[in-house]
Amino acid sequence: METEISNDHKYSIACPSCDLIYDLSEVPVNSSATCSRCGHLLTQTRENEFLRGVCLSFSALVMMLIASSYPFMQFSSAGLENMMTLPRTVVELWINGMPWLAVIVAAFILVIPSIVLTMILVMQLIMLYDVKTPLVAILGKAIFHLNSWSMVEVFFVGVLVSLVKITKMASVVLGVSFWAYSLFALFFVFTMMSLDRFQCWKKIEALS
Amino acid sequence: MNHAESTEKPRTARELGLASCHLCLKLSADEHHYCDRCGTALHQRRPDSIQRTLALLITASILYIPANVLPIMYTDYLGRTTESTIIGGVITLIEMGSIPIAAVIFIASVMVPLGKLLTLFYLCWSVGYRKPGNERQRTVLYRITEFIGKWSMIDVFVVAVLVALVHLTGLLVFRPGPAALTFAGVVVVTMIAAESFDPRVIWDNKEALDER
Repeated sequence: METEISNDHKYSIACPSCDLIYDLSEVPVNSSATCSRCGHLLTQTRENEFLRGVCLSFSALVMMLIASSYPFMQFSSAGLENMMTLPRTVVELWINGMPWLAVIVAAFILVIPSIVLTMILVMQLIMLYDVKTPLVAILGKAIFHLNSWSMVEVFFVGVLVSLVKITKMASVVLGVSFWAYSLFALFFVFTMMSLDRFQCWKKIEALS
Repeated sequence: MNHAESTEKPRTARELGLASCHLCLKLSADEHHYCDRCGTALHQRRPDSIQRTLALLITASILYIPANVLPIMYTDYLGRTTESTIIGGVITLIEMGSIPIAAVIFIASVMVPLGKLLTLFYLCWSVGYRKPGNERQRTVLYRITEFIGKWSMIDVFVVAVLVALVHLTGLLVFRPGPAALTFAGVVVVTMIAAESFDPRVIWDNKEALDER
């Protein structure tokens, strides 16, 4: 058994949480494998996983585009009003003397999510059409390095909390962009959930 | 959901002289310096895991002080400026009667960062001093810490949204305070700390204790 593993460990995996070795060559479709010692989810297989990924990441990108180009919310009180767009959350922080905070917020809610999504879309398209290219490994590396740094869903909860905080002060009108961003957050979370590290890299190895 | 079929006698990658790539999960011979498949630097365990995590935890704990003492937001209302801290914001919400939202902010901005710091300190301590304990529970604790980390950014995003949205010159203007930046720093540094901790050392600890 031991020699078998060291000769061909193409489908073997060491649990990232406790280092136990498993042979994952026969995980049936639509099921998952969990480490028996520490409970870590090792892999999850889904039918048409690449097609799913393409559809989800494309939808998320379209919503992102709408969300960043239309008004997000409008705030008015005593005859004065102010309109907010998504990029303005960043610009206002910069103007108010907090350029570093502006950079962090921009990176977490706009820049990293859109870069990661675009890369996922391209990678899943390559996988769907079985194009043999070394590009897929580069994309895979960048995606798995960056994906813990997008905070789309956290920002969405932040928006809801801010709404509660100010609705009592004045009237707030929700814009097109608000609804687009809600959908974007939803599609984004689903895209991330459909991305399985083990299955992705198995495919990348076959393509590059 | 079915549990993965383990090989006859469960063995770890380290016992077999293999190292698992932290990025693509591929197993390579431990002598290799870079992963065979994706080229990422290869280590059997994350290097100096406990020291690095501790150093980052201390940094985060220091940043946590100004994050709570300094104002996170200024409110200019009819020419009068008031400051609010994180705890102050929670109290204001309770006074406004929004108990659920106050709870969300309290959990995300106070309990999660503190809990993360304490959990990671405990994990470093228990592994560093080879304390026996329930390894599975510790692993779950670690994984919760890793997952929950970014949710503390809620308060920073609330400030960003309010500053951009509420800008009625002369009447009501919200401005960001210095604590917003230091608090963002706490979140980012604890996220890096969680990432530099290697949960496999919890199990190495168990194996070392079993052999004794």
